[in-house]
Parts: sequence; C-alpha cells; structure tokens
Amino acid sequence: MREVIKLGLILLVITSVAAFVLGVTNEMTSSIIEERLHRENVEAIKSILPIAEEFNPIEGEGITDKELIVEVYEGIKDDEVVGYTVKTNPNGYSGTVEVLVGFSVDGEIVGVKIGQHTETPGLGSKIADSAYIGQFFNKAVDLGFSTTKDVPATDNDIQAITGATVSSDAVVDGINAAGSLFEEVLRNR
Amino acid sequence: MKLGRIFTRGLVFDNPVFVQLLGMCPALAVTNSAENGMAMGLATTAVLLGSNLVISIIKGFIPSKIRIPAFIVVIATFVTMVGMIMKAYFPALDAALGLFIPLIVVNCLILARAESFASKSTPFNSIVDGIGMGLGFTVALTILGIVREFFGAGSIFGFAFMGEFFQPATIMTMPPGAFLALGLLLAIYNKITSKELNEL
Amino acid sequence: MVERLTVSSSPHIWSENKTSKIMLDVVIALLPATIGAIYFFRLNAAVLITLAILTAVITEWGIQRIRNQSVLITDFSAVVTGLLLALNIPASAPWWIPVVGSAFAIGIVKQLFGGIGQNFMNPALAARIFLTISYTDKMTDWRSPIDLVTSATPLSYVKDATSVPANAPALIDTFIGNISGSMGETSAILLILGGLYLVYRGVISVTVPAVYIGTVAILTLIFGEFDLYYMMYHVFTGGLMIGAIYMATDYASSPVTKKGRIYFALGCGIITTLIRQFGAYNEGVGFAILLMNVAAPLIEKYTSPRVFGEVKKQNA
Repeated sequence: MREVIKLGLILLVITSVAAFVLGVTNEMTSSIIEERLHRENVEAIKSILPIAEEFNPIEGEGITDKELIVEVYEGIKDDEVVGYTVKTNPNGYSGTVEVLVGFSVDGEIVGVKIGQHTETPGLGSKIADSAYIGQFFNKAVDLGFSTTKDVPATDNDIQAITGATVSSDAVVDGINAAGSLFEEVLRNR
Repeated sequence: MKLGRIFTRGLVFDNPVFVQLLGMCPALAVTNSAENGMAMGLATTAVLLGSNLVISIIKGFIPSKIRIPAFIVVIATFVTMVGMIMKAYFPALDAALGLFIPLIVVNCLILARAESFASKSTPFNSIVDGIGMGLGFTVALTILGIVREFFGAGSIFGFAFMGEFFQPATIMTMPPGAFLALGLLLAIYNKITSKELNEL
Repeated sequence: MVERLTVSSSPHIWSENKTSKIMLDVVIALLPATIGAIYFFRLNAAVLITLAILTAVITEWGIQRIRNQSVLITDFSAVVTGLLLALNIPASAPWWIPVVGSAFAIGIVKQLFGGIGQNFMNPALAARIFLTISYTDKMTDWRSPIDLVTSATPLSYVKDATSVPANAPALIDTFIGNISGSMGETSAILLILGGLYLVYRGVISVTVPAVYIGTVAILTLIFGEFDLYYMMYHVFTGGLMIGAIYMATDYASSPVTKKGRIYFALGCGIITTLIRQFGAYNEGVGFAILLMNVAAPLIEKYTSPRVFGEVKKQNA
C-alpha cells in the first residue's frame, strides 16, 4: 500500500511540474495565437469585400441560425454599410466546403473565396480556381444559381467542373444560401 | 561509447527511418513537400532533445514500475509546448502540420530513445544521441519530402526550377506516393550501405 | 551456374503453352481493338500505341540488364502490357503519357516485385490509375472518334441517373465503338471478338469475364429499376469489356483456384457498379480490378482445395 502512495506521489510531482511548464508556455503564446487568428480572419474577409475598411459581425435570430450560414459580417466605410460577407459551409463531395462570398449592399457579388475543403485533388479542388469562381462575379447574389453541364445559357447558369458536379453544386448551394439570406434579411436592414 | 559514434549512429548506421523504420506515421503522412518534411523532423528533434535530456536527469528519481507513464508525461509536455510555439510563431507550418504535431507523442522513435538510451545514459550523451537521432530523422524526412515534392509538384522547397516541359505526377504528393518514394529510397539506402558494410 | 538453372513455380510439366505463346495469343486477340482504335482515333492513336509498346519493352530490357537477369523481352509480356496500357488512355493524350505510364507499369509494378508472374497488380491497370490520379485533366480529355472534338463519354450521361437520357449516344454506337472514350475500350464488339479467340485458344476461361460482366448487368438492372436499355448501356460502355476480358484474367494477379476466380470476378462486378453509381469517377473498372488484385491472395487462402489425404480438423 505504501508503495502505491509513493509511486502516485512521484507521478504527481512529475505531472505538476509538467502542468506548470505548460501553463507558463500557454500564458506566453495564447494572446499571440488569438490575435493572429483574428487578423487572418479579417484578411480573408477583406479580400472578398475590398471596398470596406471595417468589419462588424452580425449575429442573431434569422441570420446565423439559418441553414449553411456560418458567419456574417457587414463591411463599413465612412460609417456607412457598403456590403456584406457571408461564410457558408455546404456539403461537398467529401465533407463540408467553406465558401465565402462578399457582395455589395445592393447584392452584387464582388468576391468569392473557397476556404478549407477536402475535395478530390485535381477534380473537385478546381472549385477554387478563378476560372470557375469567376462565373459568379458581378452577378446578383440572390439570382438563384444552378449548375449546368453544358455551356451556360442564362446568367444564373454556372458551368460545372467536368467530373466534379457534386463539388460544383456545393459552391452553388453556399452562394444561394447567402443569396436567400440577403433577400430575406440583409436587404431590408 | 564514443560521442562521435553515438552521433553518427543516429544519423546514418541506425537511421530511425531508413534502418529502424520508426516513426513511419509522420514519415509517410507529412512529407508531401520538402519544407513540411524538414519542419516535422525539426519539431521531432526538439521534442527528442528535451525528453532525452530531462529523462536522463530524472532517471534516478523514476521507479522502473512507473517509468512509461513518466516518460510519456515528459514527452507530451514537450510536444504540447512545440505545438503552442508553432501555432504562435510559425502559422504556415502549423496549418500544414498542425494535425500531426500532437501525434509526435506516440512517435515510437522518442519513446524508444527514452527507454533504450536516455534512461541509462548521462545527460550529455543523451543530448548527443537526441541530436544524432533527431537529425537522422530530419534528414530522412527532408529527403523523402524533396523526392516527393520534386516528382509530385516539380519544385523543391517551393522553388520551381523545372521548365514547362516537366510534368509533375500529382500522385507523388498524395498518400500512395509516400509509400512509393519510401520503398524506392529504402532500396537505394540498402544498396549503398550494404556495400559499405561489406568493406568494413 | 545459377544462371543456367531456371527455377520456376509448379507445375513443372512441359507443355506447348509457353509464356511467349500465350502472350502472342493475347496480342493477336487485341489486334482487332487496336486496329479499331487506329481507325477511330487516327494518327495520334498509332503514335501513342507504338510509344507505349516501345517504352514497355525498353524498360523491361533495361531493368533486366541492370539486375543481371536473363533478358526475357522475347516472351511478349512487355508488349502486352504496353499495348493494354495504350488502349486505356484517351487518344488526345500527349506523347509522354504512354511513355511515363509504360515505364511505371514495367519498372515499378512489374519488375520491382520480381518480374513476370510476381506482380501483385495488373501492371497496365496500375499504370492507368497512376496516370489518372496524376494527370486527371489529360487522362479525362475524351474525344469523339474520327473528328476528334472534345466530348463526354457515354458513362458520364448515365452518372447520377437511373435511366439513359435522350441526348446520350445510341447504344449501337457504343457497341461498334463510335463513341468517345479510351482508345481501345470504345468498341465492345471488337473486344468480345478477341475474347472469344482467347477462350477458343484456351488462354483464358470464360468464367471471369462472364461472372464479372454478369454481375454488373444484374446490379445495373436493379439500380435502373429493370430498364434493360440502361443495363445494356452500362455493360457495353466504359472499360468493362477490356477490363473483364483482358485485365481481370491476368494470370499473376488473379486467384488460381476456380472458386476463387468466381469470387474475384463477383467482387470486381460489385465494386465497379458501386463506383459507377456512387463514386467520384464515372468509371470504376480500374479501381475494382486493382482492389480485387490486392484481395487475390486472401481469396486463394480461403478457396484453395484441401491437400489430398488431409483430414478435416476435428473439434476436439
């Protein structure tokens, strides 16, 4: 019995020292990590809505609890709202795809960015290429886009990437979710 | 044992990857580019150095019955520290390796050195062993990364120097390429070292 | 001294069926499809096929020289690998695709594992997958025959569908080969012709192709809610014919037992259909055969007949 207590105490000493060392390291690094994450997030948002200078998160009922919507920011310039950025997480071919879309107050898409995803390299990963994403630019976000395998006939047709229809659908889903959010909530703010 | 011998053993003759086949999980998983391979190797070296040193110092204090949990606590502490520091100061590396850093805890190389060397040797020898083994691991992972990055993406350390005519085979930066590259490198390593061993 | 003794695995009975003879038969069986490929896809097809065969033979020769082995390129097995690989790539591929593919097939998949009879995967198929994963865009740049304009393969029309859409190519065209796809897989009739020759010559048994194609037929019939046209579409398009007749029957990488071959072909059929129905790729023949290649030793283990005189284990 006495041995068990002795072994336990030795382990306690070792783990206490370890905990103390880790605590000190955490104290030193946690603020740096937090600041960096925040800065990265802002940079990502700014790249899809470059006209805005400041960003405020919009939260609340009917917005962040909507399907596929993760984060919504309003972009501000000279104390005036100039646009919104919406982060969505539609389901792709394997797992969720992070789709960020930035649009002006009247709903014109100015930037689309594909964040983290695990789509098939060489096939589904092409959704991040500007050739695909560029199809959305300067169109109204609430147009109700749909994927087509042929050459697009109308403005709301988005040509799918060959062999990666599911991944292409995901991006369209994400942007349409942002579109309906705009139509239902943001437009009337 | 001579210091030089301890050092070169880890680097060449007992190379953790090419001879002992230890730490295969990181060796295969993160070596899709030379930079990632080297970073993983250096992170492991840092942990190995710390754990070897601490374990050789407190070896008299640890009863043999609880040595494994004690070793693991020491190793896990260093791994967590490396993870935090990486997250704070090397965000790009953290994005590429983040998932695999905690797994250094269960890298058999580190526990193997703690169990078979550091717990029986002086702190100084343990440091030399840690550097030798760590650098051996780093060199192996870097070579693996260079080979995979070159054939899979046409660049080395992100520097693309091959012309347009060179068509990299994407599969080499994907999981199957890790096995292909490791197998071929093992064959070449054995070919070279077996010749040298015969001459000894 | 060692060089003069050729030690091979059993059976040691001498017969007319030498490797070179079997392989020559396979080449002959593939001739109709090869000529069809050159007719449908013109000059580039001829160039690609020649390059693939040349690279395969040169790689085989080179590695056997480096390893101081007797050079066995006259057994035609490298020619078969090169030809099969060439028939598996699209006619639009640049010249280096068959070169890289053949070098990989012979150098890595075949010779590194010990040369003929030792490879655990079909070399040509492994190379096709290697190329498809590495150069996805070039390996899926399908062209229509004769005029060589970019067009989708018939399989892409039935992807995510349970019936054949109206704008898909006609079934008769898929039978003759007047559709887009890899050079040698488009013409079902020419491949079946070669297959019949191989069965007649006793090179392959009809079991594997019949069970494989039959499984795909039954499963697609169920998926298509008993639409016969949809089923035929799946059977005659894509790589099913070339895969079932020429690749799933590979001696080295498929089981040797009769029962094992049935399980093997059944597995190929199930995986092919599942990938075609639910996978990311339109075609699943390549992955199906490779996966079953890997499973072949296990299948053999559980289907090998009892040794004569062996007593069944009693429950003690």
